Amino acid sequence: MRLVIARCTVDYDGRLQAHLPEAVRLLMVKADGCVAIHADGGAYKPLNWMNAPNRLVTDDDGWTVTSPKGETLRITIHEVLDDTAHDLGVDPGLRKDGVEAHLQELLARDVEVLGGGWKLVRREYPTDIGPVDLLCRDDDGAAVAVEVKRRGEIDGVEQLTRYLERLDRDGTLRPVRGVFAAQEIKPQARVLAESRGIACVTLDYDALRGIESDHLTLF
Amino acid sequence: MKFRCERDLLVEALSTAGRAVTGRGGALPVLSGVKIDASNDRLEVTGSDLDLTIRTSVGVNIAESGTAVLPSRLLSDIVRSLDQGAVDLEVTGDEAQISSGRSQFAVRTLPVDDFPHLDEPSGDQVSVAADELASGLKQVVLAASSDDARPILTGVLMTAEEGGLRLVATDSYRLAVRDLPEATVLGEGQKVLVPSRALGELIRVLGHAKEVNVRLGERDVTFFVEPEDGVSVELTTRLIEGEFPNYRQLIPASYPNEMRVGREQLLDAVRRVKLMAREATPLRLTQRDGSLELMAVTQDVGQAHEEVDAVYSGTDELTVAFNPDFLIAGIEAATGDEVVLQTLDALKPAVMRSTEGSDYLYLLMPVRVS
Repeated sequence: MRLVIARCTVDYDGRLQAHLPEAVRLLMVKADGCVAIHADGGAYKPLNWMNAPNRLVTDDDGWTVTSPKGETLRITIHEVLDDTAHDLGVDPGLRKDGVEAHLQELLARDVEVLGGGWKLVRREYPTDIGPVDLLCRDDDGAAVAVEVKRRGEIDGVEQLTRYLERLDRDGTLRPVRGVFAAQEIKPQARVLAESRGIACVTLDYDALRGIESDHLTLF
Repeated sequence: MKFRCERDLLVEALSTAGRAVTGRGGALPVLSGVKIDASNDRLEVTGSDLDLTIRTSVGVNIAESGTAVLPSRLLSDIVRSLDQGAVDLEVTGDEAQISSGRSQFAVRTLPVDDFPHLDEPSGDQVSVAADELASGLKQVVLAASSDDARPILTGVLMTAEEGGLRLVATDSYRLAVRDLPEATVLGEGQKVLVPSRALGELIRVLGHAKEVNVRLGERDVTFFVEPEDGVSVELTTRLIEGEFPNYRQLIPASYPNEMRVGREQLLDAVRRVKLMAREATPLRLTQRDGSLELMAVTQDVGQAHEEVDAVYSGTDELTVAFNPDFLIAGIEAATGDEVVLQTLDALKPAVMRSTEGSDYLYLLMPVRVS
C-alpha cells in the first residue's frame, strides 16, 4: 500500500471527462493496482479512482494510470508532502458472522448474564438436526437451550423450537426450556417465542465486552 | 342477545376496550376478542390481555339480554366503517349479525366460556381530579422504560408524599418526578408500581372526565372514569412486584451551572438541529453567558448549528451532549414560558425544571462525546 500526500491536479478521461483543480490530496495505490484519490472528507469515498487492473507510469510531472478499457487518469503532482509504502500482507477478509460468534463466546464465558447461578454445560451442544448454541443448567439444575443471534427474527425462534423438540427426547435433559438471546429481537419473533414459552433476552454487546457505553445511565 | 346503539358510541366503547387486546391471542385465542354483555339497558364491552383489562359501559336499547365474545379488531373495523346512525347487533348461536341501513355483516363468535373470569375490583374507593392526574401522568409516563427485560422500569411508582401523591418513572437514562399535592390516593407510607402502558391508556380516557375514582387492591389497581355523557371506562391493571430504584439518591443536591431559556424557542431549535442528529448521534449544548449554542454532527450526512438567547450563570463555557429525543421530551413536559437547565458537568445528570412551580423535575443523563 503506497500512500502519497501531494498537492496535485487530476484529469480523468474515460466514460466522461472530469477535472480536479489543484489541492492537497491523498493518493492511494493498492498492491492490486487500484488507484484512489481522496480529499480530507467524504468518508470512505474517493474523489476519483481507477479499479484494477491498471498500468501506472510515473514521469517527472506526475503519474498516468491507464486501464485496459482505455480510461486514463492523469495526476499532475506539484508538491509531494509525504510518501510512504507498507506491506499489509494477506487480509483475512470480513467475517460477517463475527458478532454472532463473538456473542456466543462471550455468553459462554459468563452465562450468569442469563440468570444468577446458571452454569454452562457445553457450547454447540449437538442434536441430531444440528448443534444448539449453548446448553446450560439454571440455578435449579434444569436444562436450558440458548440460541444466540445478532438479530432475533422468526427463523431463529423456529430453529430453537426444533432444537427444543429434539433435546426434550433426551431423558437426562427433559424438560428443556428455551432462551432466545439476541442484540435486537423483532416484535414478531418475540410474540412467537413467548407464545411458545421461550424467554427472550436482549443482549448488550458492548456490556458483554466490558465496553462502557457513551450513553450514560443514572444507575 | 340483541341491542341497538349509536355508531359513534359503539365505536368508542369497542375501540377503548379493544386497546387492552394485544392481538397475541397465542396461548388463549379468546383474548383476541372483546366480551360483550348486554343487560338492564347497559352494554358492557371488556377487553383484556390478563395484565390490563379495560371495560367500557354505555346505555343502549336492549331487546334481548345476553353475552358474546367477538373478534375485537374485526368488530371495531366493521362498526367504524358503517354510516352514522343506529347500529343493530344480534347474536344467534355462534354468529353475530351486525347491520346498519343497507349494510349487513355476519361474524363468527368466539367461545364465551373460554373468556377468563375477571375479579371485581377490590379496595376502598378514593377520588382524584381527572385533569390533575392526567397532566401529572403525561409528564412522567414518558420516562418509563418500554424494555420488558427490566419490568420494574416499565412501571410508574405512585407513592404517598406529604399528604399528596408523587409519580416517579425512570428508564435509567432519565427520571421524571411529579408531585400532585392535592391528590390523596394512597395512605401514608404506601407505594405501588403501576405499568406505564396501563397509565398511558388511562391518560387517553381521562380527557372528558372531571373525576377519576381509584380502587387499590393487593395485586391490582382499578381506575373508574365516568364522563357526564358518553362511555364509562373501568381500567384494571396488575401491579408490578419488586423494588423500584432509590430515585432520591440520584438527584444531586445542588448545581453550579444554571441556564434559563424560552421554552418554545428552545423546543423549536432542538427540533431543527435534531434533523442532523441521526443514528443515535447526540445533540451538543454549549452554554455560555447570554446564549446557548446547539450543534449536531452526523458523519457522512452533515451538521447543524443554532444559537438561542439564554441567561446563564456558572462555569465560563460548558458543553453537554444529550439524546435529542430525551431532551425534547423533557422540554415538552415542562410547563410555562421558560425552562431552567441545571448542570454539574458534561458527564453528570442534568435537571430540567419549569420556572412555574417546583412540582416537576426531569433528570437527564448526558451522552459522552469526545
